[in-house]
Order: sequence, then C-alpha cells, then structure tokens
Amino acid sequence: MTEVAERQDEPTEASSSPVLLELRDLSVRYLAAREELPAVRGVNLRLGAGETLGLAGESGCGKSTLAMSVLRLLPRTATISGEVLLDGEDVNTMRWGRLRTVRWASASVVFQGAMHALNPVRKIYDQIAEPIQLHHGSQVDQTELRRRVLELIDQVELPASKAEAYPHELSGGQKQRVMIAMALACEPRLVIADEPTTALDVIVQAQVLALMSRLVAERGIGLIMISHDLSVLAATCANIAVMYRGEMVEFGPSARLLEQPEHEHSQALAAAFPTIGDPAARFKPATSTPLPEPEPDRCVGEPVLRTENLRVDFRDRGGATVRAVRDVDLAVAENEIVALVGQSGSGKTTLARTLLGLQQPDSGRVYFRDTEIPSSARGLRGYRRQVQLILQDPASALNPRHSAYEAVAEGLRIHGLTDDEPGRVARALEAAELRPAERFMSALPHELSGGQKQRVVIAGALALDPTVVVADEPVASLDASVRGEILALLLRLRIELGLSALVITHDLGLAWNIADRVAVMYQGELVEVGTVEEVLLNPQHEYTRSLLAAVPGGTYRSGPNGECAH
Amino acid sequence: MSEVLTGAERKLDADDGGGGARGAGLVRFLLGKLGGALLSLAMVVVLGFLLFRMIPGDPVVTMTKGRPVSAEQLAELRERLGVDKPMWQQFIDYILGLFRGDLGTSYIFQRPVADLILERLWPTLLLVGVATALAIMLGLWFGIRAAWRRGSGFDKLSTGTALTLWSMPQFWMGLLLLIAFSGAFPSGGMRYPDTPPDFLSQSLDVAYHLVLPCLTLTAALYAQYLLVMRSSLLEEMNSEYLTTARAKGLRDDLVRRRHAVPNALLPTVTLVFLQFGMVLNGAVAVETVFSWPGLGLLTYEALSGPDLPVLQSTFLVLAAAVIFMNVLAELLYRILDPRVRAT
Repeated sequence: MTEVAERQDEPTEASSSPVLLELRDLSVRYLAAREELPAVRGVNLRLGAGETLGLAGESGCGKSTLAMSVLRLLPRTATISGEVLLDGEDVNTMRWGRLRTVRWASASVVFQGAMHALNPVRKIYDQIAEPIQLHHGSQVDQTELRRRVLELIDQVELPASKAEAYPHELSGGQKQRVMIAMALACEPRLVIADEPTTALDVIVQAQVLALMSRLVAERGIGLIMISHDLSVLAATCANIAVMYRGEMVEFGPSARLLEQPEHEHSQALAAAFPTIGDPAARFKPATSTPLPEPEPDRCVGEPVLRTENLRVDFRDRGGATVRAVRDVDLAVAENEIVALVGQSGSGKTTLARTLLGLQQPDSGRVYFRDTEIPSSARGLRGYRRQVQLILQDPASALNPRHSAYEAVAEGLRIHGLTDDEPGRVARALEAAELRPAERFMSALPHELSGGQKQRVVIAGALALDPTVVVADEPVASLDASVRGEILALLLRLRIELGLSALVITHDLGLAWNIADRVAVMYQGELVEVGTVEEVLLNPQHEYTRSLLAAVPGGTYRSGPNGECAH
Repeated sequence: MSEVLTGAERKLDADDGGGGARGAGLVRFLLGKLGGALLSLAMVVVLGFLLFRMIPGDPVVTMTKGRPVSAEQLAELRERLGVDKPMWQQFIDYILGLFRGDLGTSYIFQRPVADLILERLWPTLLLVGVATALAIMLGLWFGIRAAWRRGSGFDKLSTGTALTLWSMPQFWMGLLLLIAFSGAFPSGGMRYPDTPPDFLSQSLDVAYHLVLPCLTLTAALYAQYLLVMRSSLLEEMNSEYLTTARAKGLRDDLVRRRHAVPNALLPTVTLVFLQFGMVLNGAVAVETVFSWPGLGLLTYEALSGPDLPVLQSTFLVLAAAVIFMNVLAELLYRILDPRVRAT
C-alpha cells in the first residue's frame, strides 16, 4: 500500500522516458463462422521504458487480445490493423525471423495459468534455459547457462533444488515464480503479465505481486499487467487503462482510478470488489437489481449444521499422516451465512466434503438438527436433500450434453420427487433468477454465460428445497460484474427463503459482502470464529491479520479500534 | 509482509520436497504390475485349457481319418494321448507339464510342442517386429504432420488413405498384393531351398520373402497409430504451453518437436502397446495367406486337427506376449510422463 502512495509522485503520463511500446489505432478482429467479431477497436497507447501499466476489464473485453498482439501471438483467425511499435519497430510488418528474435528478448510474457503455460513433461531448468539458449545460443556455454538459470531461480525466491523439478511438483505460486524467472531470462525491456495471479489465493497472490513489482522496478523493465481486479493492478502499476468491449474507456493514475473512477464501466469494476470495512458494501454486493432491505432485528435461529471435534486424516505417499481437519467445531444456524476462509491447502474443502458426507471423519461428529448424519447410502440420500452443494466452476459442474432442465431435474429424480417435475424445475430456475424459466429450460451449458451457468447449478440445489447450501468458491471463476449478482442471489435467498449457507472462499471481500459470521481456517484448525465485523475489523489471530494484509491495496480499511494490519 | 506469510511459504517448500519414498514406491509399483501379470497369465492357462476342449471334433477320429482302424486301436491312441482320462486329471497333467517346460506332443506333427513353438517363434517375431516398427514410424510421421496442418490437402489425403487401408480385411489385402506382385516377389514361404547356406545370402533371401507379408501387415496397422497421434496432437495444439514456446521465439518445427510431440506421444505409446494383440491377430491372417512359417500359420494348421496341445500352447504364448507388452507399456509410460511417476 505504501508503494502506491510513493508512486503517485512519479510521472504518470508517458513523457520523460523514451517510448518502449506504442499502439497506434490498433484493431483486432476474429473471423468466426463467417462473421468478423471485433475484439480490439482503435486503441492508442504509449508506454515509456520502465513504466508500469495495468489493463483492466472483464473477460471478453479484448485486454488479452491487445496484450498478445504485442508479440503477434494471436491465432490465425485474427486480422490486425493499426501499428504495434515495439522500440519503434512495427511488430505487424516484421518478417518471421525478425519476429522470433524480438520475442522474449525484447518482450516476454507471464501467462495466466502457470499450471498450463509450463510444459508438463520438461524440467523447470530446461524450460528456463530454453530461451537463453535460443537467443544467446552461441555465446553461452553449459556452466555459464547453469549459473544463469540458478541465479534466476534464486531471484524468484525458489530453492535451487526446484530446477530439477517438473511443473506438477510445484504449487501454483511456485509455478508462477517459475514463469517470472522464465520471463526475465533474456533480460527483456518489456514484460506482459496476463492475469498472473488469478488462480492463486490471497497470500500467494500478494507474494507474487510483490516479487514481480520488485524485480521489474530493479531492472527498469516496462510492465503491462492484465487483470479484472482493479485493486491488484493498483498494487503494482502506476497507471491503469480500463477496457470495455474492445475500446479503452478510461486511462489514469492507479490511485485516482481506484478511488474516483469516471467511466460507468470503471465504476462497476471498482465496485465489484468491496472495500472491507466500508459500511456501504456490507450486505450490499454490487448488483443491478435492488436488494431487499436488511431486516433490522433479524434473529438467527438454532444451529442446523454442526460439527463436533471433527478430525480428518489423510495418508501421504510416504505413509505419514496428514491431518487435514483438526478438532473443528463449526455451526451454521438457520437463516445465516457463514464464510469459511483460508488459503488453499488449509483444509476448507475437506471440511466441506465431510459435512456433505462425501468424506468419513476419523473422529468427531457432524450433526444436522441434533441428529448425527447417517453413514448408510440410503440415510445419506435423505440427508443430502437437506444439504446441497454448489461447486466452484459451473463450466465443469454441468454436464455439457444436459440442458438446464435436465441438470435441475436430475436431483429431483434421484430423490424421487417426480410429481409436477416441470413445475418444480421452473420454480427452481425462477428462484435462481433465470426468468422466464421457459427460456432457459432447453439451453445447453455452452449457450449460457458464466453467470447463467452458475445460476443453473444453484437452481439444481434449490430444486430440492434444501435447508443449507454449501458453496465452494461460488464466484471464484466468474467475472467481476457477475460476481456481485451471484452474491446478491445468495443473500436474497437467505433473506427471502431463510436459506442457510456455508460459503467456502479465500475472498475476504465476499465475506464482507454477504456473510454473517466468518470462520478462519489455518492448517486444518479453526483459528478464529466470529461475526464478520469482529473478525475482519478487529482480527485477533496472527493468521487472520496476515490474510487481511495480503488483500491487495486499497480494499481493506481496518476497523475503528483495530490496529492497521500491515 | 508479516512473519506468518513467509512462514507459510517455507512450509509449502518443505511439504513439496517430500520425495524420499519414491524408490520404495517404484519397487511396490513393479511388484504390483508383475503380480497382476502373473494372475492374468494363470487365468489364460485355465481359459486356454477349457476353451480348446470345447471345440467340436474328436482329435483321435480326425487323426485316423481315411484309415481302417479298430476300436482297440482308437482306445489305445486315446490312452497314449491322454484324452481318455477325466478332464480334471488332464488339467493337472497339463499344469504339471507346464512347470517342467513340457507342452505336450503335437497330434499332427508328432513332435514336442515346445520345439515346434521355438522353431516358429522367430519368423513371427521378425514379421511382427519389422511391420510394427514400420507402422509406428509411418503412423507417427504422417499423424504429426496431418495434425500440424489440420484440414490441409496433406491431412485429408494421408488420413483418407490410412482409413481405407485400415478398413480392408488383411487377408484380402494380402491376396490383392499377392496377385499384383507375384512376379516380382515370392508368393510364399520364408526362403528358397536352393539358396546358398552363407549368412548373407540367407538373410537377403528372407528379406526378399518378407516384403509382401510385411507390407500387408504395415498397411493394415499404421492407420491406427496415425489417427491416435493425430488426435492427441490436435488436443495438445490448443495448450497454453505451446503459446509460451512460441512467445519464447521458437521456430514452428521446434515448437512441435520439443513441446507438442513429447506430450502428444503419451496416449500414443499406450495404444501402441495395448494394440499388440491386434497385431498378432493380423499376423495369423497374413502368415496364412503368405505361408509364412510362424506361430500364426502354426495356429491355423493346428485348428484343422484340432491339435489341442499346439493350440493351447500358441494361445498361451500369444496371450503372454500381450500381457508382457501391457506391463512394458505401463513401465514406459512411467518413464515418459513425470506426472505418472509421482503417483
């Protein structure tokens, strides 16, 4: 956060430094099914050497297309017009040989999913060494190469032993560090980072962002960072450009854009991720449809779902016991939303699976309304009607060959609720705000947007009239604007139907938006449980504080009596 | 960043380094695979024994067809062959024989089956080995290029040709080749009787005889390798790591050779080995058409008996080969794919 403050004093408009990258009236169209879809329309942009620029926008706004056009990495179906001047040379008119020389040596890329952007069958060492050999092949001998690769690995704060590892042996954050080391290998003057931290949880995200900012600043490398999250960009870049439907709608210094966005779409982006501690965002996720007034004297009922000393152990490859869930006591009451937060690997998902009876606990009990949940298949079926699951990624949770109607009706059939099936499906779809239901019934998943898919998944859960839903990262894979709508839906279901929810997330803003209570999980233990205000504004446990400190700049405002967490 | 953060990352590093049990894992893996293979083999032995006793036809009657034999002679023959004993007794004798390496005596050839099999094994190995090697090379080469230039004329032509050849019955294709080239190449057998006995002349003669059967088998087999290689490479071609490779400035053929192909090879390798049964299947037809003196022809000849000891032994040998190839495929996959090694 202090970094942002310092950068405000620096020149924010490209002026003093020589121009590194200039886009002149750049347009890109994709040819799809005999029609041309414009992805980027007439964008002008200048980036000086060593400057940092954030490109913000939702998926499909053309930000990735814009970034990929810098190295001419677009698919064959793309037609490009306008100029992309990298160090004054137009990339679009380069010959292939020249283009290959420029790639990585002048500008390199940190790709979005480090998981997929690394070759799974080649060692880390070889993948980092490859561009060096390619671009300085004749001048570098093996010992020199080895020294250089190990130096890069060291610079991204990975142990040297990881050089001999394969991508699958690394965590998400470590893979992203490898991508950064790879991007710096040929000492480029420009690095393009395409959603570098999207798949990472908050703490790792903060570490990767800090590392990247430091390395880029030390070397005077120009940086273009792409994200849908303005706060992430504000934490790393001096300026931000907001894109909407292929056009650049706003450009300005990061702090100004985050605080006072001018364009309507920038405002929507800024509102999508709430400031924790901002009373205006409490129980008010960013949505276009009005929310019911929060009841002033709401009573939270009896606990409906409760665990007692729950413990789940796993055996790892070496046969050692890994305690995934340790002595957890957690309750979700009627008419209550509880957010279970923690970073990946903290045991959140194992806990959820145990609650649903998908995983047998090693000791301890799970109670549903004072009765222990059954372990027989038949008993579990009845129980699961009451407790429904909503998964993270609706694209893979839905069978691509089943229509929305089939997806919702399947649960009804399993539970033998066969009377008035069309009516039940229609009511569930309407409850998930897919109106009119008839329009969506025959739709296949690929015909629906991300948000609509998630609504179908939610409708599938609602069709059974559950008492509780367990939602595992329900908005993590959705766009910023859709995120608010889905959260508003969960909140409305709670207010209007009294539906309880346990929402598993690493997103503290989500908790601030809709949850009543927060449970913080760390290494299998619940380290802090309390109301949202207590936990987020006045965190007691050190881990909660570090989670809050990792929230990207500008979206955390600590409480009146709480010390500043960073 | 606070202390807890760096602590968490250290923890992660430590967790990731836990590969000490890998050696033990390999031993367990090997033992498991070998155990599974032995179990399959045992089932093949039982199945083979029962299967060939269900074939209609009395071997003793077939053997003495056209000769005047008395009932006493038939009974004596039955006793000599052991087919007069109850089934369970025959089974026990068979199993005990197996452990001594005694596969019985052929009814037709009147020789120990083990000798027969050893004699016929290497022509089959030669034919199947050369044909598979050629088919793999052809299939992979065409498959890789067809996928890389998807939808091009090359893709359509090579895929179309492969499919046509694949869908032809092998014996029929063999007969067509036989008719077309019977002047240029020998029409059957493995060597001419009048070839000088020195190694070079003998080898050349065998190679000369090998051309047509090998061509038939290769043509029939390479299509599946082509199709699998093509489709698995097409799947890899949308992968993001290929964009990474291109962004690094690699030439197109290096992107393909270094990054795309090694990943696309994985499913292909499994197929190459799993389809070994089909290769042997094809060998029976091809050997019969070209009178190639291998195990396939031996099986065909034994069926006319039925020559039970020979049949159940060739069945056993061919099944064992398939099982062996499966184990090999799993081992090779482990070497090729680091992700499999980890589990």
